[in-house]
Amino acid sequence: MQSRKLLLAATLTLGALSLTACGQGLGSGSTADGSGPITIGMVVPLSGSSSAIGPYMQNGAQLAVNEINADGGIDGRDVKLEVADGACDPKTAVAAANKLVSSDIAASVGGYCSGATLPTLPVFAKQDIPMIIPAANSTQLVEQKLPNVFLINGTGAQQAQAAMKWFDKEGASAVSLVDDNTSYSVDIADKTAALLKESGGPDLAGRVSVTAGESDYSANVNAIITSHPDFVYWTGYYQEGGLIIRQLRQAGYQGPIMVGDGSVDGSLVQIAGEKQAQGVFATMTQTPDTLTNASGWIADYKKAFGADPGPFSTQSYDAVRVAAKAIEDAGSTDGKKMISALEALKDFHLFSGPLTFTPEHTLSSGGFVILKVKGTKFELEDDLS
Amino acid sequence: MSQLIWNGLFVGSFYGLVALGYSMVYGIIKLLNFAHGDIYMLGAFGGFAVLGLLGGVIGTTSFVALLIVLVIAMLLTGAFGVLLERVAYRPLRGAPRLSILITAVGASFAIEYGVRLVAGPNPRVYPLRIGGESIDVLGARITWEQVALIGIAFALMIGLNLYILRTSEGRAMRAIALDPKASLLMGINVDRVISRVFFLGSALAGAAGVMAGAYYGKIDFLMGFVIGLKAFTAAVIGGIGNFPGAMLGGLLLGLLESFGTQWLGGEWRDVFTFAVLILLLSVRPTGLLGERVTERV
Repeated sequence: MQSRKLLLAATLTLGALSLTACGQGLGSGSTADGSGPITIGMVVPLSGSSSAIGPYMQNGAQLAVNEINADGGIDGRDVKLEVADGACDPKTAVAAANKLVSSDIAASVGGYCSGATLPTLPVFAKQDIPMIIPAANSTQLVEQKLPNVFLINGTGAQQAQAAMKWFDKEGASAVSLVDDNTSYSVDIADKTAALLKESGGPDLAGRVSVTAGESDYSANVNAIITSHPDFVYWTGYYQEGGLIIRQLRQAGYQGPIMVGDGSVDGSLVQIAGEKQAQGVFATMTQTPDTLTNASGWIADYKKAFGADPGPFSTQSYDAVRVAAKAIEDAGSTDGKKMISALEALKDFHLFSGPLTFTPEHTLSSGGFVILKVKGTKFELEDDLS
Repeated sequence: MSQLIWNGLFVGSFYGLVALGYSMVYGIIKLLNFAHGDIYMLGAFGGFAVLGLLGGVIGTTSFVALLIVLVIAMLLTGAFGVLLERVAYRPLRGAPRLSILITAVGASFAIEYGVRLVAGPNPRVYPLRIGGESIDVLGARITWEQVALIGIAFALMIGLNLYILRTSEGRAMRAIALDPKASLLMGINVDRVISRVFFLGSALAGAAGVMAGAYYGKIDFLMGFVIGLKAFTAAVIGGIGNFPGAMLGGLLLGLLESFGTQWLGGEWRDVFTFAVLILLLSVRPTGLLGERVTERV
């Protein structure tokens, strides 16, 4: 239903973009010929349901760009960040990716919603543009086996393993999984369900899928409760997550609740209500708040943007640095050379630990931790090491 | 089982309240007002703004505060509905029906992204939250707030029904629904009556928006889209243009969703709901309470 309306919007955007793209194509073909600034592209949600995240990622990437330029750029060339709005919607994201490709970017460092990032893969792959994806982490992204796709966030499978560890530590015996039918969310739920079905650990009490964008989830909540879980794991985003936590508590569920990394945002607590959200766990990659050695970085970020960093600010910052490193190592902005340089990368220092890509182009170590809501914020509960 | 029925009725009363506005506007000028769901969203944001302005004055007595905010938001959205009709629909009254339908879709976009410009794309959280202790009735958990919200919804619906059936303005509305030209000849100020219909329908949607904001807590600029479609569906089930039908359709839709989720799982809910609706409409094409009218064209 919503898609029809979005299709209209996407068509209009495409029309508008094709006009602007012509203008840019003529003026800025500089990346390829080795002079002028190197452009790095980024598709993030600046509108739509996940629009809170886009600015965090954009600022994180911009901070890295500023630092690189202050140090004299890459081989004397400045770096320029070009951001396009993907709106967490497949059609808008493809339009945005096409726009970036036409402005001749050397690498892509965006990607938040997996469902919107998936269809942009072939757009970049056709031009051999390396994608260093900072946030989206559905296993489907790398299952396409495209040579240009690299994930610097843990995958759904790694997140499911972290969740499993925590179920065991907390002594859960019956876990209900709730997803929102998007690629990212279903991926984590599938992988977790597979682990739960293996003998030994807690059982899979039930699986519920909700439709995103609604307000009333009482029917879904009722289905969760009648499966009698003693642990509920929500794998979707924070907007629905907040509502579901609140409605679960109102319906009388008192057991522990855990959310995936897409739900880690202060808004989750606001929407659920502070009382209802207390003690909610989350599986999450390292954020600035949970890192012990990031205070200098946080201060830099605050100084540059006048606001606190948020989820995926660090990963986006890292993505730009990885891209810059690849251009340096390859000695050019040629896509194929950069891809080989990325594959050869060894123990490059990231916030989440040393980076070496596996043959599947994912992190060799996942770096997931468990957070817990205390007051209005997520705080580190366990580093799972 | 009783929990399923209660959940369905609660959601359904929201659908019904919004569906009334659809039905009224369609009944009188044969326009599917696709911007109606966005008026619901405007109501929620209007209430949010009013709460922000009144701030500390009414912080403690939450239910009284909700009623005050509700009335103010209803007046605001009602006035906006009148404005919308005057600006977007009245200039096109003689135009083909398709043009005015497209205008309604355009108005919907304009409202959504207008609100986005003012309030930003991020969801907002209502400062006034209701929802609290629950009681057990026949095995269903029911909160007093839910009872109160359903009570308000039904009071508004019944009030509207009385207004339309018992007053001379209501009679004028029914007359225009039958034949606008003849009504004009009989000395009815058609424009004024249509404005009034927009006022009433929009005020009801605004009330539903405030109630949803206060109950669920989260509002965002796209929240009107889904409920707009659902309410439209409810109006069609009940027989579009028929007021008790809109309420009945809303309740039925709520119940179908509730049972569909329980029986088949959340991902099958809409499939189940709309399959039942297709069946129902193929048996009774005019909706549950709709009358078969001979097409005048």
